[in-house]
Amino acid sequence: MAVIKALCIRNLKAFWRNKPALIFNMILPFFFIFVFSSIFAGAIAMMLAGIIIATSFDSGLRVSSSTIDDMTSGFMKEVLVSPVSRFTIAVGQFVSSAIIGSVQGLLIYIIGVIIFPDIRPNSPLTVILVIASMAFVGLIFAGFGLLLASKSKNMQTFQALSMALTMPMTFISGAYIPLFSLPVPLQWVGRFNPMTYAVHFFRDVAIVSGDEIMKYTLAREQEVLQFWGLNITPTVSVLILVVFGAVFLFLSTMTFTRIDFSKMNRNIMDAVEMWS
Amino acid sequence: MTRPIIQVKNFTKRYGSFEAVKNISFDVAEGSIFAFLGPNGAGKSTTINTLCTIFEKTEGQLLIDGKDVSREKNAVRQSIGVVFQDSTLDKKMTIEENLKMHCVFYKVPRAEIEERINFVLDLVDLKEWRRKPVSALSGGMTRRVEIARGLIHYPKVLFLDEPTTGLDPQTRNHVWEYVLRLQKEKNITIFLTTHYMDEAEHADDVAIMDHGKIIAHDSPFGLKKQYTKDRAYITTSNAPKFEDLLTQQGLNFEKRERYHRVDVEDNAKFLYVLSECRVDITDMELRKGTLNDVFLDITGREIREGGNA
Repeated sequence: MAVIKALCIRNLKAFWRNKPALIFNMILPFFFIFVFSSIFAGAIAMMLAGIIIATSFDSGLRVSSSTIDDMTSGFMKEVLVSPVSRFTIAVGQFVSSAIIGSVQGLLIYIIGVIIFPDIRPNSPLTVILVIASMAFVGLIFAGFGLLLASKSKNMQTFQALSMALTMPMTFISGAYIPLFSLPVPLQWVGRFNPMTYAVHFFRDVAIVSGDEIMKYTLAREQEVLQFWGLNITPTVSVLILVVFGAVFLFLSTMTFTRIDFSKMNRNIMDAVEMWS
Repeated sequence: MTRPIIQVKNFTKRYGSFEAVKNISFDVAEGSIFAFLGPNGAGKSTTINTLCTIFEKTEGQLLIDGKDVSREKNAVRQSIGVVFQDSTLDKKMTIEENLKMHCVFYKVPRAEIEERINFVLDLVDLKEWRRKPVSALSGGMTRRVEIARGLIHYPKVLFLDEPTTGLDPQTRNHVWEYVLRLQKEKNITIFLTTHYMDEAEHADDVAIMDHGKIIAHDSPFGLKKQYTKDRAYITTSNAPKFEDLLTQQGLNFEKRERYHRVDVEDNAKFLYVLSECRVDITDMELRKGTLNDVFLDITGREIREGGNA
């Protein structure tokens, strides 16, 4: 427990100290808000909900990218010769992701509410649900990120992989552009994208009573998402996410605890080969 | 020999079909400094990494403080400190934060953390740098922080994998001062690998490794006695007389372009030759054998020949 807490504090400090990334990550969502809200005029609430959850998704992934940074910079090596189990380390990374994901999402939510007062939450319960949802999404995609990190083993591969996956995952999820406005083949892709369900249920959580566009969007998205007659309500979306999350967390923990660092360290083998 | 703290019996490590370490055995006495010498790729790092529970052995038995490194990993990890070749500090954090994190990992009682941080930082003279981020430190300081961190959980054995590689000579000396002070004050066993011959002179025991085998294992003094000779380099204006006398006394020599190289196996005989030729001798130098000579003699090559360090 102490180790998980210490890892969380460490990751939060690292997140806070990396000022350029922090500022960039705070500005980027608003850039998206302004670009997309000028296309979908008046759909601020809908846009903001999508963007916030995309931010939580992004944070989840980013904490994992710091894991790979830790692996290559050697910090993980120090962890591995300590009596701390790798499982604890993985849990520490997940919890940090959830916290950072919700902190960042929350900041954008607060700034969003200040800039666009008509989307302010109508009850404290909404605020609690919003924060819980952001933590939930951050956690799930931390699993996804750690899986990518453990599989790729170096920064270059990880970056290429995460770019190749995050762009379609955010754009074909309805976060920025509603799925119903996409061509049918892309709608199909969207159905297999866990992010779609995150966006879907989060819109329902963050909905402002009386926001007609949000209601309309939700209804239209639900039509698109129908799976052989099964209606994907926000509750079903949460369940789907729980399944995705369980799979991601399980697989990533398995992979992470089993990385063979003797195979990862190529230098030693190169030296061996040189002398043989 | 006092109680052995590290025991290695018939240790073999294979990567696929390649044997990196071939059936080696050795013991390290508690409280001693043990140096592992060898060129890059000799199997030093593989051995140290296996002892540190990072790599899995292929065959054999490795014990630290009586605990098996493959089966009792956590117990072994608790009793060792490791300073790797490459820095493993958390560069995003300060020295203090690094040390605190380490204390949490090793379950150092909360009440003792502060006292221990002060103790280890004092040991490596970094007290006033406590709140500086690691990324702002020089190479030598980074090493010292790592040594401090490796010690904060009071390990029985401290592993130093090439602790001074990449440091300037002055910093190397400093690092060594700390290491020696530590060994004296805390009676910690120090296991180090190096390819600087002069550093191995500090050790109580030296094992020379090449091609995955231990090819010599003794004290530095013992090794030098066994494998090196004192040599004299003499320039004389009367070479024939000098050579005759050497032959007469049974001293081996080699004639070089501007000097004679004499193996001084018997001081009395050599001094006799010198006194007989004293008017002809224009220059002389006596060189004691070094561990480098030992290495050359045993492996037939310089330690860093072909190495990539």
